[in-house]
Amino acid sequence: MASVALSEAEKVYIVHGVQEDLRVDGRGCEDYRCVEVETDVVSNTSGSARVKLGHTDILVGVKAEMGTPKLERPNEGYLEFFVDCSANATPEFEGRGGDDLGTEIANTLYRIFNNKSSVDLKSLCISPREHCWVLYVDVLLLECGGNLFDAISIAVKAALFNTRIPRVRVLEDEEGSKDIELSDDPYDCIRLSVENVPCIVTLCKIGYRHVVDATLQEEACSLASLLVSVTSKGVVTCMRKVGKGSLDPESIFEMMETGKRMGKVLHTSLQSVLQKEESLGPKRQKVGFLG
Amino acid sequence: MLKSKTFLKKTRAGGVMKIVREHYLRDDIGCGAPGCTACGRAHEEPALELQPQDLASSLCPQPHYLLPDTNVLLHQIVSAGRPGTWASVASSLRLPGSLETYIEQEQGENANDRNDRAIRVAAKWYNEHLKKMSADNQLQVIFITNDRKNKEKAVEEGIPAFTCEEYVKSLTANPELIDRLACLSEEGNEIESGKIIFSEHLPLSKLQQGIKSGTYLQGTFRASRENYLEATVWIHGDTEENKEILLQGLKHLNRAIHEDIVAVELLPKSQWVAPSSVVLQDEGQNEDDVEKEEERERLLKTTVSEKMLKPTGRVVGIIKRNWRPYCGMLSKSDIKESRRHLFTPADKRIPRIRIETRQASTLEGRRIIVAIDGWPRNSRYPNGHFVKNLGDVGEKETETEVLLLEHDVPHQPFSQAVLSFLPKMPWSITEKDMKNREDLRHLCVCSVDPPGCTDIDDALHCRELENGNLEVGVHIADVSHFIRPGNALDQESARRGTTVYLCEKRIDMVPDLLSSNLCSLRCDVDRLAFSCIWEMKHNAEILKTRFIKSIINSKASLTYAEAQMRIDSTTMNDDITTSLRALNKLAKILKKRRIEKGALTLSSPEVRFHMDSETHDPVDLQTKELRETNSMVEEFMLLANVSVAKKIYEEFSEHALLRKHPAPPPSNYEILVKAAKSKNLEIKTDTAKSLADSLDRAESSTFPYLNTLLRILATRCMMQAVYFCSGMDNDFHHYGLASPIYTHFTSPIRRYADIIVHRLLAVAIGADCTYPELTDKHKLADICKNLNFRHKMAQYAQRASVAFHTQLFFKSKGIVSEEAYILFVRKNAIVVLIPKYGLEGTVFFEEKDKPKPRLIYDDEIPSLKIEDTVFHVFDKVKVKIMLDSSNLQHQKIRMSLVEPQIPGISISNMDLNEPEKKKMKLEK
Repeated sequence: MASVALSEAEKVYIVHGVQEDLRVDGRGCEDYRCVEVETDVVSNTSGSARVKLGHTDILVGVKAEMGTPKLERPNEGYLEFFVDCSANATPEFEGRGGDDLGTEIANTLYRIFNNKSSVDLKSLCISPREHCWVLYVDVLLLECGGNLFDAISIAVKAALFNTRIPRVRVLEDEEGSKDIELSDDPYDCIRLSVENVPCIVTLCKIGYRHVVDATLQEEACSLASLLVSVTSKGVVTCMRKVGKGSLDPESIFEMMETGKRMGKVLHTSLQSVLQKEESLGPKRQKVGFLG
Repeated sequence: MLKSKTFLKKTRAGGVMKIVREHYLRDDIGCGAPGCTACGRAHEEPALELQPQDLASSLCPQPHYLLPDTNVLLHQIVSAGRPGTWASVASSLRLPGSLETYIEQEQGENANDRNDRAIRVAAKWYNEHLKKMSADNQLQVIFITNDRKNKEKAVEEGIPAFTCEEYVKSLTANPELIDRLACLSEEGNEIESGKIIFSEHLPLSKLQQGIKSGTYLQGTFRASRENYLEATVWIHGDTEENKEILLQGLKHLNRAIHEDIVAVELLPKSQWVAPSSVVLQDEGQNEDDVEKEEERERLLKTTVSEKMLKPTGRVVGIIKRNWRPYCGMLSKSDIKESRRHLFTPADKRIPRIRIETRQASTLEGRRIIVAIDGWPRNSRYPNGHFVKNLGDVGEKETETEVLLLEHDVPHQPFSQAVLSFLPKMPWSITEKDMKNREDLRHLCVCSVDPPGCTDIDDALHCRELENGNLEVGVHIADVSHFIRPGNALDQESARRGTTVYLCEKRIDMVPDLLSSNLCSLRCDVDRLAFSCIWEMKHNAEILKTRFIKSIINSKASLTYAEAQMRIDSTTMNDDITTSLRALNKLAKILKKRRIEKGALTLSSPEVRFHMDSETHDPVDLQTKELRETNSMVEEFMLLANVSVAKKIYEEFSEHALLRKHPAPPPSNYEILVKAAKSKNLEIKTDTAKSLADSLDRAESSTFPYLNTLLRILATRCMMQAVYFCSGMDNDFHHYGLASPIYTHFTSPIRRYADIIVHRLLAVAIGADCTYPELTDKHKLADICKNLNFRHKMAQYAQRASVAFHTQLFFKSKGIVSEEAYILFVRKNAIVVLIPKYGLEGTVFFEEKDKPKPRLIYDDEIPSLKIEDTVFHVFDKVKVKIMLDSSNLQHQKIRMSLVEPQIPGISISNMDLNEPEKKKMKLEK
């Protein structure tokens, strides 16, 4: 993972600050940095979103393509994740340098999003065993400023919210051969319900306390952190510990509680932003990468 | 301003693709109205007229522009296209791309609604814009739409809107315009005759599925000429079985029209039928007698042996209509004052078309063009509308136009775009033209052509070389120098394919400037040529062949007769004459050699009309005379063609354009062999050589014309020669010329194939550069297909023209009786040839309202016994020739027997002359 080199003195300064609920950039331990979200930024995807969280910059595109359902789940579509770590983010990602991180993030995303409790996979099915929609979720890391997982999860959720899948009809003739007919009205499309799509809240253990939305510097001071995926109702759907250090059960419990609390807040504000953007309609001036 | 357009597309693999296109909106497109300062485009030529012609529409008296919606424009283009009809078509000039009038598709709105709205927005914009321009001008834009909802919305938005019909009806100055409106059956018209006759056509998606799965077959619909209730469908693709599917009965034909691409469903074997041999013509005037129709259909189903049954099917849907405007005549309705009439196309394969017109009385007896608009399920006939009045039946111009249209011969004057590629006059040879060219102006070249020929595409020369050998050159007009690949001129020539020679008219393939001037190898002018030069021994053995682009200066343009005269004259010994003599000598050797190899000399009675120089009426008929010089020129052309074919095939084995003449299947010769046998002659047909030899031997001292007759018959047995691309075929043989390879090189002015061959050869010798299409064998195959079609059509048109002029000739000549020979014997008729006129005709022995004579037909000999007289092939008879005008649309020459006399059948010479005399008296 992208990291910064910090001297011992700097680390001590950060750790002591956290102890006092005073972080280097002036935030408290449970404060997020400013999040910028914009959807529908890439026109040739089915849905897309760009999220900036401090210096962390994520672009997510969702492409809906026709595929065949998996054997064990004939009535469901599925999601595929691919994470590309751009070398623009950090020189470490040059060449194949970002692959490991990419795979790690993608695996986490599979665990969190690709199940029917977070996304209504049944609605992606066109005809059982034969046709379904496969959502290819491509995550592009443009800049790393810490707290990648949270930013990515927000972006994925926003992109899924923005996704419009063309409505198709299955025509069947007497012989049983099926043909797929595409609706020619561009407004005639399926929207996914993102009600249960969780967000990740990463809690970084620094010293005796934990912080949310750690910066790169803070991450360098942390030995272990906990990823908690929380739905908008505050249900924890998944949890994962990252980092070399260990966490005692007491603090895990504490961190989960914080995670739930923070998650709910995150969901509410994200939802309201997305709704607000949606209400502007197609005439909204897009900012894209000019912002 | 940049917008993006997004749409979804289904890919072939079955996936869905989202496609995003950039779309720039412009703010600098002017309104096109002259004098509009707001748009700042005054310096440009205005697209609209300043003061739209006032067509006195009672609906809107002020001057106005019209803005038709897309459907109106599409369907009514015929009436719109006529100058001075529509005030002005503002078209969709400003619609799609301009800033003020751009709209985006809204939710719940389909693409058509969006377009309609866009047009309405444009109409509104125009009205406001024009109002701003000048308050006193009072110009208006009127929105024309046939869509009721669209019109309502427009009126709501304050745009003056009318339906097309309303508007045209209001034009008091042009009452006949209403006829030209395409009648699109709207809901109102549908109700009138509620009875549904036909089953519904399946939608295209269903048809495609069906074709994929094999339930339906796709093919070209071919209506029968003889029986309007029958048709065949030629199945596309390489299926061996069920290549040809029979359709019988109106309901199974299901509104398909000749040449349509249709989908058919095979009926179960129990319902298969045999093609009926009945001739049925659609004569019903009344449209509702569907029951009668069914009765007739039952008539067709005669009981036949199982072997005769053909795969039978029914049309389930139309994949592609191939409608075109049809020539024909109006059959006036019996009901007076009726505006609905039936139109009978000249082509019997096309059903009658119902049209609505108020000018039936003026159109009666005229040849008119009608376009089909549609064929509703409840209508016995398709609906159409009147397009054009060609003129009176029998008028020469009218008939020529009809035969050109019916044979699909492109004959419009060349467009400006095509003419723009012609060289600028005065034209002269420049330094640049000299590159890659040899100067052969010093050679004594001359051309030999029929009299009056203005498109001279070949010239010859012959001279003795220092080593004693002969140098022979064939110089062909270098048309490919002027027609560059891919430009409009090239495309138009490729489309026309060939020059069509009618009796009194020539439809050029290339514009006149090229065909009769710059490319024509006239004498005493420098012309560009493509030369094929051989070094030969005196025994015509070729030592060297050379192809070059050259410049020549022909010393003389001779006719065949003039050239013959020079050769025969003992006093003339100039350069031209000596070279002609040498050529003639070589040609004789070449011909002999060719015939030894098995080339066929066939014969067809060709006639030439002597035209009256003022009226252009034929005054005399004459069969073409053949001189030695004809065959001299022909021989060298053949030699050049063969040499070029070899060269281009050597260079481009995959994409040489060649010409082949397949050997006919032995069964074709049956008729010839039988006919010869009846005269105790043997014709062998196993090879071309044996055929040629046996034809030569088939002489009869008592009957000198027999040999010609046999050759005429042999011609009928032959297959069509066709162009093909060497990479797409492996049989190159030219049967008639007994040459293993052949192409056309020598007439580029009148045949497009030669132009391609010229280009190939030019590339082969490095005189010109190649281009991608030239080496694309699929493109070449497409060109060949078109050329073969055009050649066939040109031939048919030529024959039709000769037939028409023969009719004119006999019309002026009255009734004559002539000697004739029997060519074929049929079950109830004999086909005779009149050598004097080269005219062929059928003498029928069964007539509708006369008692049938006793006819015995023997297929083996073949012979026909009528009462007590037996007719054999080649028998000499005497026939009476007269013009039969009982059917105005299809006038024809009718022949009846005079000698030998058969009571009750033949007419005596007495009868023949009498009506003539009576007529004379009457005229006096």
